[in-house]
Amino acid sequence: MAGKSIRSRKKKEQIVNRIVLLVVIILSALVLLPLWWIFRSSLMSNGTLYAYPPSFIPHEWKWSNYTDALKSFLYWKYFKNTFTIIIPAVSAGTITAVFCGYAFARLRFKGKKLIFNLCVGTILLPGMVTLIPLYVFWTQGLGLGGTYWPLILPYLTGGGFFNIFLIRQFLMTIPRELDEAAAIDGASRMRTLWTILVPSIKPAIVVVGMMLFIQIWNDLLQQMIYINDMEKMTFAIGLTNFTGSFGTKWNLAMAATCMTIAPGIVIYILGQKSFVEGIVLTGMKN
Amino acid sequence: MNKKYGAEKSKRSRAGRNEARTAYLCLIPAFLGLTLISYLPTIAVFILSLFKWNGVKDPEFVGLGNFIRIFTKDVYFFDSLKATVIFALLTVVGSILYSLVIAIFLNMKIIGRTLWRSIFFIPYLLPAIGIFTGWKWLYEVNYGLFNFVNRMLGLPPQQYLNSPGQVLPSLALIAIWCSGNLIVIFLAGLQNVPRVYIEASQIDGANAWQRFWNVTVPSISPIIFYNLLTALITNLQVVTPSLALTDGGPQNASMFMSYVIYMYAFVKKKMGYAAAYAAIFFVLVGIFTIILFATQKTALFGEEDE
Repeated sequence: MAGKSIRSRKKKEQIVNRIVLLVVIILSALVLLPLWWIFRSSLMSNGTLYAYPPSFIPHEWKWSNYTDALKSFLYWKYFKNTFTIIIPAVSAGTITAVFCGYAFARLRFKGKKLIFNLCVGTILLPGMVTLIPLYVFWTQGLGLGGTYWPLILPYLTGGGFFNIFLIRQFLMTIPRELDEAAAIDGASRMRTLWTILVPSIKPAIVVVGMMLFIQIWNDLLQQMIYINDMEKMTFAIGLTNFTGSFGTKWNLAMAATCMTIAPGIVIYILGQKSFVEGIVLTGMKN
Repeated sequence: MNKKYGAEKSKRSRAGRNEARTAYLCLIPAFLGLTLISYLPTIAVFILSLFKWNGVKDPEFVGLGNFIRIFTKDVYFFDSLKATVIFALLTVVGSILYSLVIAIFLNMKIIGRTLWRSIFFIPYLLPAIGIFTGWKWLYEVNYGLFNFVNRMLGLPPQQYLNSPGQVLPSLALIAIWCSGNLIVIFLAGLQNVPRVYIEASQIDGANAWQRFWNVTVPSISPIIFYNLLTALITNLQVVTPSLALTDGGPQNASMFMSYVIYMYAFVKKKMGYAAAYAAIFFVLVGIFTIILFATQKTALFGEEDE
């Protein structure tokens, strides 16, 4: 009797799992559909783009849309400019986040709790609130308007609390015995941090770097405020302007969009495993 | 005996001082961040809000004049308050439900879980600017994907981003689509729910729904809270869709508060007035966060004493 009920429950579970799998497949297809649609539109001629019924797969793959878009979508210039901001900002943010996360995870000092809580508090200070005084500070106070500095220098402060928190969370999972062993061998704290701890929290470093990367890549608002020179335009501004001026040529706009999205996909493929692991750990309390 | 103890103690306190000094050195970036780019500018915004200033001439003290003007005469205030709150509620509720449901599905014994997880996660990582431009095309009234689908289903075409009533749900859908990070966090939380609890409740004869409410939800409540908090803070601050897609329209329906602040400060060059807006926005975010924290009993970023 009991055996029978367990068997029937197993069978029921199997059926439920099959239905769920089907639902998941349909939902994944729906999630991917916008991306496919954007990509397929980037390869079609303007005429076939507007035909009804729409074709799911382009009849001919018009890669020339990409070369056409590149005539006014100055990809490599935006690429160079964006990376001129991103490389120093991401490095600065990651390195300073490691120092701060280390202090919170490993060291004992007076006022630790207070400082930590003040850092937590910063996530409740919207960037929009601090934007105006910071703009005045960077442009009128330091005369850095029109340069990339106001977009880079803020990252010297640990790249925001979430990144410091992430490093701290990861470091706390590393056994302290490792530090102690290194100390017995005569290694200084900083040496231990950079040669032993940092290599063992590689996923966290990758995640922090990527989060900062995406954050800067997307920061249309600040780039619009601080950059007013055509020569200094970034991807975010470039794509916004491009689609604004090419309102009707959707195939070219989508080609530019795909080129802008592509680095995101490359990054994802490179760091997928670390990324998932890192995001999981930020959400965990311990 | 005593002497030896004393020497030991002073050696230890020297090591302690050394440790504290290293800590403060390591934290220099955090101190700079706390002061220069967080708390001082926040104080500055409140001070600036009491002035009339175009960013060039000398500021003129106007007391609470900016606030009075915003509350009584400003054409954007109520629209922006409404747009900001509605958008935040739509996206927070939508993305939490979406990501929780997907996470529950992915936590079941189905094949290809890693693959599905990657698929749901991808939109989160893609550059937002590209995403917005892409979705603008999907929402296009005559030839966009959504209206193609409507046409195939025999439904009337919709205006989406061009309709004051549909623009916020349309933008919210994009934000929900991009909330794959929440799925990953939920999934990790679900995998940590002790198996014994679930089995115990099964033996007690609880059905799937009871099991969900009485076992799963309490076990993952800190994670639900974490996700709610991050989603709320992110979405209250929304500004990029207005900048990249709608310019606050149609009919001010997507005039988010952040966008109004941007407009007053950097387009109309009314720095003091924009600062007053920013101060109000700060209070708004604060109120929502306090409400959320009031529902939560345990510490989130637990800085426990060792």
